[in-house]
Amino acid sequence: MINFGFTINKPRTIDLNRNNLNKSNEVIREMPELQTCIGCGSCTASCTAGNLTDFNFRKVHTLVRRGEYQGAYEEMNKCMLCGKCRLVCPRGINTRGVVMLIKRKLGDF
Amino acid sequence: MTFFADFCIPFIVGEIILFTAIAIKYIMWLKGLPKSDKKLILKGAFSPRFFTATWEVIRESLLHHRIFKVNPLLGYMHMSLAFGWFLLISVGWIETIAYLGLKMIPLHGHVFFKYFIPLNEITAHKPMFDFVMDFLLLFVLSGVTLAWIKRMRSRAMGMKKTTQHISFDRIALTALWFVFPVRLLCESVTSAIYGGGSFLTGGIGTLLAAGINTEILHAIYEPLWWLYSCALGIFFVAMPFSRYMHIFTEIPLIFLRHFHLRPEAKEKSYDNFEVEACSRCGICIDPCQLQMQLGINDVQSVYFLRDRRKNRLQQKIANNCLMCGRCEQICPVGINLNTLRLNSRTSMRNIPNESRYKYLKNLDRSSGEGRVGYFAGCMTLLTPNTLSAMQRIFDAAREDVWWADKNGGVCCGRPLKLSGESDSAQKMIDYNKSLFYKHNITILVTSCPICLRIFNEEYKLDGIEVLHHSEYILRLIEQGRLHVNYSTEHTFTYHDPCELGRGSGIYNEPRAVIEAIGTLLEPSHSRKNALCCGSSLANTAINDSQQLTIARNVAEDLDNTGAETIVTACPLCKKAIARGATHQVKDLSEIVAANIL
Amino acid sequence: MKHVIVIGGGVAGMQCAAELAMQDIKVTLLEKKSDTGGKVRGWHKLFPTFTPADEVLSGLRHKMALTQNITTKTGCEATTITPQKVTLSTGESINCDAVVVATGYTLFDAHIKEEYGYGIYDNVITSADLEEMFNKDDVRMKDGSTPRRIAILHCVGSRDEKVCQRHCSKVCCVTGVKQAIELKQMYPAADVFNFYMDIRMFGPGYEEMYREAQQKYNVHFVRGRISEVSPNIDNRLQIKAEDTLTGRPLKMGVDMLVLLIGMKSNDHNASLKADCGLQCQNSGFMQPKDSFLHNTESNIEGIFYAGAITAPKNVAEALNDGATAALRVKDWLNKQ
Repeated sequence: MINFGFTINKPRTIDLNRNNLNKSNEVIREMPELQTCIGCGSCTASCTAGNLTDFNFRKVHTLVRRGEYQGAYEEMNKCMLCGKCRLVCPRGINTRGVVMLIKRKLGDF
Repeated sequence: MTFFADFCIPFIVGEIILFTAIAIKYIMWLKGLPKSDKKLILKGAFSPRFFTATWEVIRESLLHHRIFKVNPLLGYMHMSLAFGWFLLISVGWIETIAYLGLKMIPLHGHVFFKYFIPLNEITAHKPMFDFVMDFLLLFVLSGVTLAWIKRMRSRAMGMKKTTQHISFDRIALTALWFVFPVRLLCESVTSAIYGGGSFLTGGIGTLLAAGINTEILHAIYEPLWWLYSCALGIFFVAMPFSRYMHIFTEIPLIFLRHFHLRPEAKEKSYDNFEVEACSRCGICIDPCQLQMQLGINDVQSVYFLRDRRKNRLQQKIANNCLMCGRCEQICPVGINLNTLRLNSRTSMRNIPNESRYKYLKNLDRSSGEGRVGYFAGCMTLLTPNTLSAMQRIFDAAREDVWWADKNGGVCCGRPLKLSGESDSAQKMIDYNKSLFYKHNITILVTSCPICLRIFNEEYKLDGIEVLHHSEYILRLIEQGRLHVNYSTEHTFTYHDPCELGRGSGIYNEPRAVIEAIGTLLEPSHSRKNALCCGSSLANTAINDSQQLTIARNVAEDLDNTGAETIVTACPLCKKAIARGATHQVKDLSEIVAANIL
Repeated sequence: MKHVIVIGGGVAGMQCAAELAMQDIKVTLLEKKSDTGGKVRGWHKLFPTFTPADEVLSGLRHKMALTQNITTKTGCEATTITPQKVTLSTGESINCDAVVVATGYTLFDAHIKEEYGYGIYDNVITSADLEEMFNKDDVRMKDGSTPRRIAILHCVGSRDEKVCQRHCSKVCCVTGVKQAIELKQMYPAADVFNFYMDIRMFGPGYEEMYREAQQKYNVHFVRGRISEVSPNIDNRLQIKAEDTLTGRPLKMGVDMLVLLIGMKSNDHNASLKADCGLQCQNSGFMQPKDSFLHNTESNIEGIFYAGAITAPKNVAEALNDGATAALRVKDWLNKQ
């Protein structure tokens, strides 16, 4: 990559006035239980892929729910679908289903 | 003699469409086969396998032996229709030859023989044929009657649920229902007018002749044959596009299967034979726990195959399956339902992505040294009792062990494969495989049946023996390297994990281990018929409370044995059953470790 | 003289019995264990005031001894209950005019959360075990050494679908903070970490105690639920969680892990429902007639509830319930 000596920082604010929540709403419509997440982090703590990379399932799906889609597909692709997160989730969220759903909504299948 | 009458036209049209459609299908499917499959066919066709296949065709396509084993009444229904009809055709053929000698007679000549050759034109009447043909017709009609009953009241046939059909099926089914009763009427009226016929057609014929005016009989004679021809014609036209295509597909399927053709991880032309061989008998619906426990009625194998055949398979149908294999093991056609569903998922979801899982490079978190490798599996890390029990067992047997993933490893790849991402799964496979070779192990032990399955099926680990911990523990006991305390006081019941039992054929080893420790009480569903715990990784469609409903039902079955401990050999099953059971749930290794002498 | 049977000799039952006795009502108090006091017998100090649990119990015993109206029967369990008669597991039955059921709750069995290693690793203990250690003034690791780093995990067996316990047990958060303070008082040099999903400081003085734990005792709070515990090389417990406030996985070695076990509905409730016709909530706790004006009455006239049989409650609430139930019973007896 060419180094121009400066970077353009994306605004850090999650701007819910501007974010398009259509995809997010679709995800929630298909998987309403995702809204029951209390952000305890069990999924991320137990995550096999998160053990090896900076993949953070909780953060990615929360960002998707806020309409921040950029990079979510690539992040979800780090998941190995091993299912540990589903086994530890205290809310009983179908986490593997969420990974597949987000990939389907934001990816190309 | 000319074998033609106007009413034959529907039949002839139907027959032409039928044979053309089937010929096109066969040619397309066979042409689409990969080279390796074609070679297999050539090799198989000139081997004794050809004869074993022929025998199976007779046993299954005609006699429906496997359906008999599942449900005798249903077996009789299928047999009377298939075998009865087959006999009607072949005996009919012999009958024409007996009367007319060997000469070219068009197909409709055989079928409408009674019309073309009424009795009064025949010099030497052969009543034996009349009797046999009447008897066979009665045989088929009894099957039709049962089919009616099944449609009206499936419970009467020992089925809780029967298949919901689509339009082509309904047309074909209705036509088929008409074929034989109409044939009975045609032949009875023929017999009323011209004489002949045996106890059935002759008997009804006599009654008709006595009760109905001859003019009326003559007036309905021709239309009845029209009706018969139409019923057959419509059935023939609908057949290749309906479930009745199975009649012709099952026969080549049996041959191909005997020639060792199999469906694989990716869809291929051979799959067509399997998909269209499904007769939609619906036997797969009743054992499905999604149906039994959750009332989900549209995802079972019969509907999956139907949708796949119609090219309208949806993710939500393809994904909503536990892949427990309960339907596969009961399927009378022996279709590889799980493999087909998996390769459908692969077609829908597999996106080769080279950049995926680059992070696996140069990773090695294993610990210990030894010729025996132990792969706990991701889930086992959440059941530390199993891990510590395995440690104690290894210590007791003085085994040096290389621990592949005690500190967190890389998934075996089966979950990805089950979700249809088989190219990505291959990356896990390659990674773990090179890890195993790097550490020079000769035996690989795992406590997770999900890992076991993919190690056996996809890893192709030359020089490394793959064992489930139940097999390994049994071997230690048999070799005298591990001594366990036996007590009749201990009572256990055992839950067969799907991936271990139906998936890998391991039923006896865990039971032998349990019986070395105490008494084993079998639950009402066990071995091939064992229930799925509901937490299967193959299903990403059902939610937590649905999983719990299934788990509670399984736990109840196990609790009912009265055994003090429920034993299983899969971390996922253990966790699931523990949610619903009142008795304690333990992994096989735990009860062994607790009873080491 | 009217006769009321109070089932369960915990704080709610004792309070109720004492209040009834003072109203000149004859009371039979049934207790399953060999002594009254219930779960509170196992506690060391009560939040948020650090009042010794013994003080509360002896106060109650004293109050019960003020009249001669109470007969306490220990070591006996009630099997079937009607407003007129209670049958005991011994086969004996006692006639009465009303019944108060104050059988409390069951502590969640931490073995079920296998991933936390209770019963597998030596230094994984429950909050109840810790109270017992406090009572013996002997908080130590299995090998006798002093813990230098202690983790306290909230919500074990509460708010967890995976163990079929949806409800919040309410008291664990406060207990966790209380125990953290007590640990720091005992071992000022030790590091104490609380791993929580939410901190619910609902009562008077609780928030102040929380603040004190942070400010005065330097107790660390990490917002994240521990997912796995494993032994690490130097024989400490390796715990894994996500530090959700930084969004990064966290792991640490600790000497001791305290699991704050939740309040499960009493195992006995299922038989109350099946054999006595009393109504249960989905959580398994008994269903009071309503949540406001009749919260100590059951769906059967003449059978009353007191304490944690209807929901998780702290000691003070259980005591209030006992008194309220006594008033309701008296009202009802007067109407008869």
